[in-house]
Amino acid sequence: MTSFMPQALKRTALILFPAFDWCISPTHPEREERLLYTRDQLIEEGLEDVDNIVFLNPELASHADIDRVHLCAPSSQKLLTESHLISAGATLRVARAVMDKEADNAFAIVRPPGHHAMQTVFGDRGFCIVNIEAIMIEYIRRHYGVRKIAIVDTDCHHGDGTQDIYWNDPDTLFISLHQDGRTLFPGTGFVRETGGPAADGYTINLPLPPNTGEDGFDMVMERVVMPILDEFKPELIINSAGQDNHYTDPITNMNFTAQGYARLNQRLNPDICVLEGGYSIEGALPYTNLGIILAMAGMDYSHVKEPDYDQARFRQPEEMSRYIAGVCDKALEVFANRGKAKEAALQKKVVSERKSIFYDTTGFNVDEVRRYHLCPDCPGYTEVTASSPRAEIHAYTVPFNACPTCQRTARDLFTAARPLPQTITALQDRVADIYETK
Amino acid sequence: MIIGIDVGGTHADGVLLEGARLVAKHKVAVDQEHLSESIISLLGALIPKDRRQLERVHLSSTLATNAIVTGSLDPIGMLIQAGPGINPEFLANNGPTWFLDGAIDHRGHIIRDPDPKLIDEAIAAMLQAGIDSVGIVTKFSHRNSIHERYIADRLGSRFSHICMGHQISGLPNFPRRVYTTWLNASLTARFAQFKKAIEQGLAHLGVDCPCHILKADGGTIPFARAIEFPCESVHSGPSASVMGCLALAGQPGDAILLDIGGTTTDISLLVDGTPLLEPYGINIAGRPTLIRALNTVSVGLGGDSTVAFAEKEFRIGPKRSGPPMAQGGTTPTPTDAMVVLGLLAVGSAERAAAAMETLCPGKPPADTARHLLTVFSERIRLEVAAMIDSVFSRPVYTVSALLQRRRISPERLIVIGGPAAALRQNLENCFNLPCLVPADYEVANAIGAARTQLTAQATLYADTADGRVSIPEISCLEDISNRFGMAEAESKLEQVICGIASDMGMTDRPTIDFLERLEMNVIRGFETSGKILNLKAQIRPGLAAIKGEQP
Repeated sequence: MTSFMPQALKRTALILFPAFDWCISPTHPEREERLLYTRDQLIEEGLEDVDNIVFLNPELASHADIDRVHLCAPSSQKLLTESHLISAGATLRVARAVMDKEADNAFAIVRPPGHHAMQTVFGDRGFCIVNIEAIMIEYIRRHYGVRKIAIVDTDCHHGDGTQDIYWNDPDTLFISLHQDGRTLFPGTGFVRETGGPAADGYTINLPLPPNTGEDGFDMVMERVVMPILDEFKPELIINSAGQDNHYTDPITNMNFTAQGYARLNQRLNPDICVLEGGYSIEGALPYTNLGIILAMAGMDYSHVKEPDYDQARFRQPEEMSRYIAGVCDKALEVFANRGKAKEAALQKKVVSERKSIFYDTTGFNVDEVRRYHLCPDCPGYTEVTASSPRAEIHAYTVPFNACPTCQRTARDLFTAARPLPQTITALQDRVADIYETK
Repeated sequence: MIIGIDVGGTHADGVLLEGARLVAKHKVAVDQEHLSESIISLLGALIPKDRRQLERVHLSSTLATNAIVTGSLDPIGMLIQAGPGINPEFLANNGPTWFLDGAIDHRGHIIRDPDPKLIDEAIAAMLQAGIDSVGIVTKFSHRNSIHERYIADRLGSRFSHICMGHQISGLPNFPRRVYTTWLNASLTARFAQFKKAIEQGLAHLGVDCPCHILKADGGTIPFARAIEFPCESVHSGPSASVMGCLALAGQPGDAILLDIGGTTTDISLLVDGTPLLEPYGINIAGRPTLIRALNTVSVGLGGDSTVAFAEKEFRIGPKRSGPPMAQGGTTPTPTDAMVVLGLLAVGSAERAAAAMETLCPGKPPADTARHLLTVFSERIRLEVAAMIDSVFSRPVYTVSALLQRRRISPERLIVIGGPAAALRQNLENCFNLPCLVPADYEVANAIGAARTQLTAQATLYADTADGRVSIPEISCLEDISNRFGMAEAESKLEQVICGIASDMGMTDRPTIDFLERLEMNVIRGFETSGKILNLKAQIRPGLAAIKGEQP
């Protein structure tokens, strides 16, 4: 029979939820209008009628889904609006679509984004309050028993929140491709940031120079991302699909294209994509999102080109290619040396790390100390203390892959801990799926 | 008085109504090859003695549907401008197609004008191929119709029919716009012949009242407009049946409507007393379209469906292999079960019992029959549940819409069709809802056709940053000031719909619903540079008010 609509070779689930009635503030880049033109393009293309592409509505995540990942002060109930629960809930819905084999892969085109949200949350950071990828990943681990997961963050900004949450987890490989932190928010994501004491070498940062285009991204994918993934052998690949590397993005300085994003996703073949940033809402997003969807669905994306696209315009100078090749080599070295730091750390039993986290939206600093309690059998539990000008967090967190001893020790310490005024004292036990505060 | 006619596959039913009162009904056999003759003979039997009393004729016709099914459509050429996006090659599967090279973007901005040389080449090729009817569609023509109109102008008067996508629907969805335009252009000549034949027949009968055509959306349009949009006459049968149910048993609230026939059951839903529409349009001959239509699901499950019993389960349908055994057929059917249980008095009770015996040898036929009908009703219940689920899953784009979504919760069943009365109790038990089988249900479709009123829909897209408003349905593309706001947009769209309604002969001011209202600030560089307003409004499908009665 003649087919009057194109067919997707892979069954692809989409949540397109532009939240037309939510914004950070009316003229903020994260505004109501952000996904209007993307919605218009996707609907006009007739994607809803393409065989094997399914559109789903988001659902609301529960506060337990948030508390499984984050330590919120004063609480997830107080910090999150319904819009945040919906964008997090959308990732849970697409995860179910993939895990229950309703679809081969899925893309949540939602807002607000999440990859700047760290484990401790005191407010909005880099347009994000909660990390929607991490909420999804821990949901998948909880409900489907998946262990090894890789996150490839292709947003132009370093995925510092995701890095922070999975810093000490050797079962989560975090790879971030981004514009060099010396030239862009959040100012992190250097090659030397390689992971916590139990997961050294499982955080791979690829800071790319401003004006990197298709050639540079192709090189990084080919030389670093794909070989590392082949070796890590994740059960699931997640793409934090920010689209602000685009040459028209107003708040970044890169030269990536819709064709480039589509090719990247074709090569990466992610199980789930989650939209992150991307603020060229007219000139880029309608085309980059469409390109990514078609690539995921195994459809022809050769006609998805920005109106002013001219490949020749973005040819990369030799010198830049050489520089990026150097970044690739260093990143490969980080992965090759993975796990070696743990031996030394085990001798010390406890390793402390301190960091200062800047909340750019309202402008305040959080001082955070993590004490990693190392264990030969598991990544170990962590004691977190964090203080903002208004609230403090004192928590014991037990990762999903912790051993029973670490789990019990964290519980005992929490029970013994004395509650303090203005302080959230918490136990976050992902093994037992418990979040308790006092 | 109004005559309503519903043409089916084998028969046509007609009624003469005075207000809601059924004055006369009549049925004739239909010869699809000579459709207008069958219709005229039916009209002849229904026309009141005093012809001046006849206000209108409403016709639900299978003309367009048959032309599609039998493939007897006019040869046409499609001129398509796709621009960036999905590779448009698949659209050429439809028939002779020429792709042009211009482009318009999502906001209606012109990216590139089409190359006139390519248009001229297409013109020459179409003329050479003897194509006389042309469809023109550009991507985003609902935002900016300028390229469609430019191409049409260039074609000039060299073709008898030119059909442009933006006039057919203001909704998005480019492939649907292409297929709808193609269908419309392909039906134009055939529909014109039909109109002429009916008008001659009416004149011959001494009738000069207006004739309206039933549409798939539960509304009507006058012949004069249908000639421009013949695609709207497609698939009007289910809409006649829904409007018939509404006329005979309509009440406020949510309800399930079932039209149970010999081979299929059509399911539709009333939400707050109004029939539910498809979000875009129906699928015709494997093609998704923008033809506004009631949301109906047709299941291969009817009184004469073939029944088999295997692995402890009844399998009913989707095929029909001849009449029920009670009426001389060779395979057991649900009708046989109804006969066994004394719910239906047709054919031979003995042969019906034999049918049950064939299915479950050695078991009491009444037990088998009861079991079979329970399975039958249960299958329908599952289909209804799936339909309610899929309506609930329609995409929404705002937080408030997501939080306010309501699942349809039916309070009653309204059932028509041959086996309706026989299945009433069974359905009531299965759905655990009151089940209504209206009187005169055998002519429900014709009554539905008669009682239906005009419908219309239009959309408005205003972009104050660009200073332009587009109302594609009337080819409106006008300049606006940067102060153009929602109130102005609403009243403009209301006027347009009232204009369309009055052009179609509606004398009362219609009730207009706004189905979508989107207002969005356009921010460029942290400054508001304008607003985008997007509205969709309609005259909702419903029953025409009856003079002298309170609605």
